[in-house]
Amino acid sequence: MTLGTFVRKNRPRWQRLETMLAFIETRGPRRTDRPFLRELTSLYRASTGDLAFAQTHYRGTTVLLFLQQLVGRAHNQIYRPHRLSFRVIDDFFRQEIPQAVRAHLQAVTWSAIIFLMGVALGLSAVQFDERAASIILPSSMLDSIYSGHMWTDSFFSVYPGPVAPTKLFTGNISVALVAFAGGLSFGLITAWILFLNGFMLGVVFKLCADYGLLGGMLSFVAGHGVLEISSIIVSGGAGFVLANALLNPGSYSRSDAMASQGRSAVRMALACVPALVTAACIEAFISPSHFPVWFKVALGLTMGALLWAYLLLTGRKAALQG
Amino acid sequence: MNSSTSLPSARKTELELPEEIDLQVEVANVGSRTLAILIDLTLGGLVLLVVYCLGMLFAHNVADDWLTRFSSNALTMLLILLVFGFQWIYFNLFEWIWNGQTPGKRMLHLRVIKIDGSPVSGIDVLLRNLSRPIDTLGPMGLNGLFMIFVSRKAQRLGDVMAGTLVIHETAIDWSIFDQIEGPAASSGTSITAPAIRLTSAQWELLHRYLNRRNQLQVEVRERLALSLYEQLKPLAKGTDLELSPLPSEDWLVELARRT
Repeated sequence: MTLGTFVRKNRPRWQRLETMLAFIETRGPRRTDRPFLRELTSLYRASTGDLAFAQTHYRGTTVLLFLQQLVGRAHNQIYRPHRLSFRVIDDFFRQEIPQAVRAHLQAVTWSAIIFLMGVALGLSAVQFDERAASIILPSSMLDSIYSGHMWTDSFFSVYPGPVAPTKLFTGNISVALVAFAGGLSFGLITAWILFLNGFMLGVVFKLCADYGLLGGMLSFVAGHGVLEISSIIVSGGAGFVLANALLNPGSYSRSDAMASQGRSAVRMALACVPALVTAACIEAFISPSHFPVWFKVALGLTMGALLWAYLLLTGRKAALQG
Repeated sequence: MNSSTSLPSARKTELELPEEIDLQVEVANVGSRTLAILIDLTLGGLVLLVVYCLGMLFAHNVADDWLTRFSSNALTMLLILLVFGFQWIYFNLFEWIWNGQTPGKRMLHLRVIKIDGSPVSGIDVLLRNLSRPIDTLGPMGLNGLFMIFVSRKAQRLGDVMAGTLVIHETAIDWSIFDQIEGPAASSGTSITAPAIRLTSAQWELLHRYLNRRNQLQVEVRERLALSLYEQLKPLAKGTDLELSPLPSEDWLVELARRT
């Protein structure tokens, strides 16, 4: 059979399959009925036959490429993964995210250790030489601390109303996600981000303590700090999971190890998104306000406890059963 | 190289389907992937610019002081969200709802698929796009370029992690199959000339060229004719076409009539 005859004879079938695929791709499989699906699968089988024929007889033609992609598209529809539903989202947040975190507590611990090392070094750097602070803090912030004022006052007068939380959560989520992706740099970027954030916290604390601002500082940080620090540590842990897959793939190839570990790691990183949005709202509306300190501390501790209870306890029963 | 002649040399990779058929797909090259990203960046930039200009116009033209302050706040917030959304949501959202395509990829006929040929799921899309800070954005883009260049399946790190690859979907010219080929077509013109056998790939290549040549620029048209002429000339060995003095394009027309 010449190529022209082959095409003229079978093209109506391919066109029918194409229109059916276009329908199912835009409307989704729910909108189809039984005869439609039966026709789709029989057309798919017939087209795989055409593809096999073309592979033996028409190598190197665009018709072959076309058939490959048509069959691929049909294959996509027939073997497609679950579509998004409430159940899928519910499972994702109630089971998959906490299970991923629990499976990688060691990486989270390493992440916390590096963060705390940053804090310790920040504290001792300022203790040793106060000018160390100027390496990492902007001069406007330093000026306000030296003159005995909280720098946060100026931040919230520059970014009033709903702008402040937007700026805070977009910035923090970006940092958390880069800490996750940084795992691909063998964990170097992840470690650097964790260390830098810890270092900054240490420097600010020591400096505020030296200039009599410790009370103001604590009252500002208490409400949102636990959530923010926990989030960066968990997403840093996600980065280390990736780094570990790259460095110690075990009996897998590096790419297979990355593919399987990446799936848990991205779930860990996504745990931070709701936590950081909450933290940003607290930081913008409650932390700079004149609520009593005990309220902010209680709020911060409750939020932190809720986050860790979620990560460590949710979905245990299902995991045991499942 | 023009796509119609470079077809056999494009980088391809084998996929395996459950039906035990090997699916050979054309992997997208560095150039088209970079261009797709540039198109997406341009789109994002344009949206940002339009929102910024409209917002500024609005903020400067309202007399009320309170409204001015409110609108400039809303604008700042909107801009922050847009930048954030472009960086973290745009690629994820489009590749997820458009089955592996962003506007840039759709324009260049690129698509992200799983390494076994199946469609990408939400998690795959997240994995390959959340890793962009390490292998696409800014100076890190060099890392991605390098990976695409050396990897057999043109995967950057994010693709390896997600188990995905980016393919190029080829357009096809159906009109070349409408004519009846073979001796029946040429029987009226030259009865004495012996038929020349082409493989189906050569036949298709020849007819794709003949069909398209009127839309090509003169130099491109001549260059392609010459390159095809050189490729197909050995087939005419032993026939009167071998020594024919026709210019390459007419020679190709003549060849098409005898197959």
